[in-house]
Amino acid sequence: MNKGTDGFDEKHREGTRRSTLPKIDPVIIILALAGLFDGLAGNPVHAILLIAVALLLASNVDLPVLVEERTEAVAGPDDGHPFVAVMIAVVYAVAVGAFERYSWPATVAVIAPGVVGLLMAFRATHSPGPEPRPIGRHGAIAWASLFVALGIFELVNLLLQPDLATGSYAHPTLSTLLDPVLALHTGRSVLLFVWLTLGWYLVKR
Amino acid sequence: MSSHDATVAVYALIALVGLVLEVMSRTGRTEIPPLGTVLTRIMHTRSGRIGVMAGWMWLGLHYFAK
Repeated sequence: MNKGTDGFDEKHREGTRRSTLPKIDPVIIILALAGLFDGLAGNPVHAILLIAVALLLASNVDLPVLVEERTEAVAGPDDGHPFVAVMIAVVYAVAVGAFERYSWPATVAVIAPGVVGLLMAFRATHSPGPEPRPIGRHGAIAWASLFVALGIFELVNLLLQPDLATGSYAHPTLSTLLDPVLALHTGRSVLLFVWLTLGWYLVKR
Repeated sequence: MSSHDATVAVYALIALVGLVLEVMSRTGRTEIPPLGTVLTRIMHTRSGRIGVMAGWMWLGLHYFAK
């Protein structure tokens, strides 16, 4: 083993060098890569938003990330009025569902609650409820495998399309399968309601 | 079976596996937690919370927005 003049061996020095490298949160890398590829696929709005979130997250990466107890930081104004929240979601879904897909009104109408949800995520310093118990190895593998399998299958179907922007009947992605549903006002409204409800569910996590 | 049917069948199979995992998790006889617990755990960190919310926003953009 090579020893330095101060008595430390090379292995120890290597370990020290590794530990001084800046640690980048994997979420930042995932968001940045997703934004990059979405931009390359011709979706500048998606790319700008994803990369902006990655940059904002990177700028605060030294803040404490572990949260410990419930505060009112993520409590919404409708905590005592779920009926009102549901009615607002229904009105939103019906109104925005009337907009044509990929139009600017639809884009603005989706970005608005998206940004609100993100701001709540940025502002929340505490998670609702007690610290959740760790996920066991088998549980993590089971759920991760499911979503990785879905991602890989979706990617395979995407690459089997004539090109990235043209859907394939023989190898449909989930987007292609949903196209007939999203062509209808009712279909758009139902899925917008589901999307908004999912967002609210996530905000309350 | 056509390629289209086979593709749809695989999506259905993945959804079915997800449903089975969720049902199994609620029996309490396995180590597998419900998906909601997994999400709660992921969103317990600031970056996890922001990452999941960014994913949710991206879903909306992908299906409806420019």
